[in-house]
Amino acid sequence: MTDGDYDYLIKLLALGDSGVGKTTFLYRYTDNKFNPKFITTVGIDFREKRVVYSTRSPNGSPGKAFKVHLQLWDTAGQERFRSLTTAFFRDAMGFLLMFDLTSQQSFLNVRNWMSQLQANAYCENPDIVLIGNKADLSDQREVNERQAKDLADKYGIPYLETSAATGQAVEQAVGALLDLVMKRMEQCVDKAPGAANGAGTAGPEPPAPRGARCAC
Amino acid sequence: MTSDLNLNFLKELEREAVLEVLYRDQAMRKIEEERVRKLKMQLQQLRWKGTRSVSHEYQERSCARCHRPLGLLLNRGAVCNGCSHRVCSECRVCLNPCLWKCTACYAHGDVKIKAGEWFFEERAKKYPNEGRHETVGAKLLKSYQKLSEYSMCSYFWTLHLQELCQTKSFNKSVENLFLSLTTHMKKISKSQNDMADRSHLTTDYGQHVEKRKERRSQSDTAINITSRVSKSLYSVSGTVRSVWGMQSLSSSHFLCSLNSTCTEYGNFGKANVTGEIEFAIRYIFKACVLEISIRGCKNLAYGEEKKKKCNPYVKVYLLPDKSPRSKRKTAVKKSTVDPEFHETLKYKVEYPQLGSRQLQVSVWHAGALKTRVFLGEVVVPLAAWNFEDRSAESFSWYPLKAKVTLGFCHSSKLLVSARLSVPAQDKNFQLEKQMREGPSLQIDDLAVLYLFWGSCLILPDQTEMKQRSPVLKKEVCPRWKHLFVFGDVSPARLQQSCLHLTVWDQASLGASDRFLGGAALGAKESFGLRDPGSEALLQWQKVLSSPNTWTDLSLVLHPNKERFKS
Repeated sequence: MTDGDYDYLIKLLALGDSGVGKTTFLYRYTDNKFNPKFITTVGIDFREKRVVYSTRSPNGSPGKAFKVHLQLWDTAGQERFRSLTTAFFRDAMGFLLMFDLTSQQSFLNVRNWMSQLQANAYCENPDIVLIGNKADLSDQREVNERQAKDLADKYGIPYLETSAATGQAVEQAVGALLDLVMKRMEQCVDKAPGAANGAGTAGPEPPAPRGARCAC
Repeated sequence: MTSDLNLNFLKELEREAVLEVLYRDQAMRKIEEERVRKLKMQLQQLRWKGTRSVSHEYQERSCARCHRPLGLLLNRGAVCNGCSHRVCSECRVCLNPCLWKCTACYAHGDVKIKAGEWFFEERAKKYPNEGRHETVGAKLLKSYQKLSEYSMCSYFWTLHLQELCQTKSFNKSVENLFLSLTTHMKKISKSQNDMADRSHLTTDYGQHVEKRKERRSQSDTAINITSRVSKSLYSVSGTVRSVWGMQSLSSSHFLCSLNSTCTEYGNFGKANVTGEIEFAIRYIFKACVLEISIRGCKNLAYGEEKKKKCNPYVKVYLLPDKSPRSKRKTAVKKSTVDPEFHETLKYKVEYPQLGSRQLQVSVWHAGALKTRVFLGEVVVPLAAWNFEDRSAESFSWYPLKAKVTLGFCHSSKLLVSARLSVPAQDKNFQLEKQMREGPSLQIDDLAVLYLFWGSCLILPDQTEMKQRSPVLKKEVCPRWKHLFVFGDVSPARLQQSCLHLTVWDQASLGASDRFLGGAALGAKESFGLRDPGSEALLQWQKVLSSPNTWTDLSLVLHPNKERFKS
C-alpha cells in the first residue's frame, strides 16, 4: 500500500461531534467493513486508501485516470483533544464534516465546527462535504433532510446522508469531496499561468530574451 | 498557532497512541517526499533537454522543446504563454480550446499539482509565517523529540548546578552529585552497550578510593578538574570522560569530608532534639569489620523550623577518632522528618580496639548552601557491647539526645612519669617529666597522623612555660620517651601550679594542628571544672611529695580543647 506509485496525495479529514461515527465511516470507506462498537479515538488517527480518479474532459468523455493516494485523518470528537485535532485542520485539503442524524445536538454543533474550520483550515473557504451519518436508523432520526440541506446550501457545500452500517453513500461522500479538491487544485494551477517562468527553482531555464529572438 | 502545541496534556498511554500515529504519518511523508523528489528530477531533465539548444547558435528557428526547425510560413510555431518560448505544435499541451502550454510549462504545473504545491501556496497565503511544507504531525514529533532532549539536558544542568554549588561551598553534599553522576554514567554505558567499559568504571572507582590518601595534596586542584570534567560531560557524554569524572570526584569527595569536620567544632545550627533513630550494630570477626546498619529515624525535629524543612542524614564517628577517616555518612533524605536510609556503614577495625571505642551516631539536617543543623545524637560505648551475642545484632530504636559536652569519657590514657628533682646543694628545682607512652591512644585510623605532645606548666601567677615534643610520624601506639624539663621553679610554687599535657595531630602546612585530647595535673583549676575526685590534684601531690623519684602517672585524656592551655 505505502509505495510511491501514485500521482496525487490527497489529505482529507473527518470532523464532528464525538460519537457521530467518523471512525466507523472511514473504516467502512477504506476496508468496507462495519464495526458497531464505539471506541473513542485518542486524539488523532489516519487511514489510507488508493483510488483511481478519472477527470472528465469538457466534452464529457472520460479523461485521464490518476492514481490518488488518500490519507484520511480521523479526529477525536471529544472536547479535551480539541487543541490537538484543530491543529491538524491546517494540513488537510478537504473536510468531511459529519453529524449524527439521530442527534439534534450534533447537528446544531455543525455551526461550531464550521467556524473552527474557517479559523484553522488552510484557507478561509476550504472544500467541505456535510455528512449526515447513521441514515439506517430511520426510527431514531432527529434531523430531517430538509433542515440539513438548507444548512449545507447556506454554506454552499454538498450534503449527503450516509450509513457506515450499510455503506450507503459512503463512497459517494468521499468521492464528492475528492472532486471538489481536485477541481480546486486545477483552478489553483490554472490561475497562475506564468508560474512556469516565475519558478525560481528552475535553474537551467533559458532566460526570457530568447523568446523574443525567435519571434517571427 | 501550533508553536505552543505539544503532547504534554495527554496521558502516557494516549501520548503513546498519538505518537504511534505520528510515526506512521512520518513514514508516509517520507514516501511522499521521495515521490516528489523524483517528479522534480524528471521536470529538471525535461528542462535540460530544452536548454541544450542554448549552446547551439540561434541563427536557426527551432522549437524550444524539441529543437525541430520551424518554418517561415508553415509550422511557424507559437510563443508559449508560460515561458515565452516559441514551440512547435507538437510540443504543446492543450488545456482547453483556447489555452495551451508548452510541454515544459505543463510539466511544471503538473508537478506542482502532483507534489501538492498548490496546497502549500494557498496555505502560505493564510499562514505566511509558518513553515511552508511542514505538517503539524512533523512539528509535533519534532517538539516531542526536543522535549525528551530537554529533559536530558536538564539532567545535566542539575548536575552542573550541583557542581557549582559545591565549588562555592564544599559541604554541599557531593555524595548526591556523585550518585547522580554514577547513575548517569551507568546510563551512558548501558546505552552504548559497552559492558567492558562499565566494569572498568567500577574497578577504577575502587582503586581511586585507595588512592585518596595520596590525593590529599591534590584535592584543591581536584575541584577544578571536577568542574572541567562536568562541563565536558555536559557537552560530550563519553565513557572515557566519565572515568575521569569519577577519579576527580572521588578526591574532591575526600576534600569535602575534611572540610565538613568543622561541624564537629561548633559550626552548625541547633534544633530542638526530638525523635529516635533505629540502627543495628554487628561485628564481623572474619573480616574484622564493624557494621552499622542505619534503618531510619522518626519524629525528627525540623532542621528549619520556620520553613518546616528537614533534609536529614546520619553521620557516624568511631570515637575517639574524629578525623575524616572515622566519619561515615548516609545519603541525605529530602523533606522528611521520618527518613528511611537503609544503609550500612562499615569500619575496618581490629576487635581488641573496640573496647576503647564509642560509636557516635548523629543526625543532621542538610540545609541550603553549607548550613548544617544538628538534630540529635546517640553515643554507644562499644566496650560494653557484646559482639558475640547474636541478639545484640538486631535493630533497635535509640532516642536521640542533645550534644553532650562533657559526656566524652573514652579510655585513652596517657602514661607519664614525673619526678621532682631537688638538688641538695641547690634551691633550684627541676620538674622532669618523661612522656613515656600513650598506649591507650589506640586509634588505628591515626596511622597517618603526625603526633606530638604539648606541655604547659602554668605557674600561680599565670605565667606559662610551654614545651613541645618532637613529632612522631604514623605511629599507631606512639611512644615518645621524651623528657620535658621545667627548671627554676620552687616546690612551693609548684604546689599551686598546674600542668597541662595535650596531644596533637600536626597538620600539613598552613592548617592549624588538630587537638586530640588533653590531661591536667595540679592544684589549680583556674578555668572552671575540676576533675571528679580531683585525681589530677592527688597525682600532682604524689609527684611533689616524693622528690627525686619517678612517679608513674596514668592520665585520662579529655577531648575538650577549651580546657587546656597549649
